[in-house]
Amino acid sequence: MDLEITGARIFFEVPIDVPILGRFQLSETIVVSWIVMAIITLACIWLTRDLKEENISKRQAVAELLVETANKFVVGNMGEKFRYLIPFVAALFATSVVSNLISLIGLRSPTADLSTEAAWAVVVFTMITAQKIKTNGLGGYLKDFTTPIPVMTPFNILSELATPISMACRHFGNILSGVVINALIYGALAAASAALFGLLPGALGDILSKIPFLDVGVPAILSVYFDWFSGVMQAFIFCMLTVMYIANAAESSS
Amino acid sequence: MQDLVGIVPWTFVAQICNLFLQAYLIKRFLFKPVNEMLEKRRQKADAEIRDAEAAKTEANAIREEYEQSMKEARDKASDILSTAQKTAQLQSESILKEANVQAAAIREKAVSDIEQERQKAVNELKSEIGGMAMEIAGKVIEREINEADHEKLIDDFIKNVGETS
Repeated sequence: MDLEITGARIFFEVPIDVPILGRFQLSETIVVSWIVMAIITLACIWLTRDLKEENISKRQAVAELLVETANKFVVGNMGEKFRYLIPFVAALFATSVVSNLISLIGLRSPTADLSTEAAWAVVVFTMITAQKIKTNGLGGYLKDFTTPIPVMTPFNILSELATPISMACRHFGNILSGVVINALIYGALAAASAALFGLLPGALGDILSKIPFLDVGVPAILSVYFDWFSGVMQAFIFCMLTVMYIANAAESSS
Repeated sequence: MQDLVGIVPWTFVAQICNLFLQAYLIKRFLFKPVNEMLEKRRQKADAEIRDAEAAKTEANAIREEYEQSMKEARDKASDILSTAQKTAQLQSESILKEANVQAAAIREKAVSDIEQERQKAVNELKSEIGGMAMEIAGKVIEREINEADHEKLIDDFIKNVGETS
């Protein structure tokens, strides 16, 4: 049987060539991203409906827990002066988690598209670099590449560029591996199902072998790791790295 | 179909915009209301703590005042008690003294009365017994004894009587 794992589907294409960017393609990634954003925003609105100062509801307790956790995560790892980054890190984490888990309802994860992680990593990389320049000045930032000896400069530049690339590829690779393995398992179980029920004689076997019974239940167990654990873990790692890199950049190297 | 692995420029740009938009939306719809509410709650808690502290201070002042007045009352009571005790003692002493004096006076008067009575009795007895003795003696011896002997006899007799009585 054939098994195909492809990139995001294109729903719509604007037939105008824009320089550098090329033709605009409304891909599955973008549409599902919007769905993810809608889910997160609606969840926020629902959670913060009629907030009270005392005698709070469970819903409000969850909202407060989320806010407190985000505050603790950012302020605890970066310090008080990075308080303004809390919504950004929270958005990064929420988008990543919901994007990773949306594959559970059959949609294609936006994070299974390298463009998404590359976009996030570039934003984070820009923030890190901006923070470094802010801390050491442009001269200090450039001089940092020549440490400990000027010969190391190319390697330093390489390691600097490796940061966003590794961040993007780590996240993307984990999610894509989940997609690939899920597809393989579904395919394999469907084949096994067909072979098993094909043993039945006559028309009954022909009909039953077309229904992939084994696809029910078994993949769910594997999905606990590949979707739930990996999805939440990668989101956490991405945010943790973001926070640590920016906090490190804020510490003067000289 | 797009490539499985690859960066699509438009998607890339769109995702950057989406990320910042999402950051704004989360800030606007989650952090802003919750932080505002937390701030309000903090202020309320602070106000309650301040109120409680004020109430405590007030209570302490009232207690101090109460203790002060209690102490004053106790002092006053003990003052009154000791004054009363002193007065009572003085009074009892003076009463006792007076009683003693009176008793002594009464006794003295009684002694002198007794003495007087005795004297009177002795005198009466003296004259009576003298007369009687004279008469008896005159009758017995039928003679007149001289005046000097007579006196002497009487005196001796009286003396004996007085000593025996």
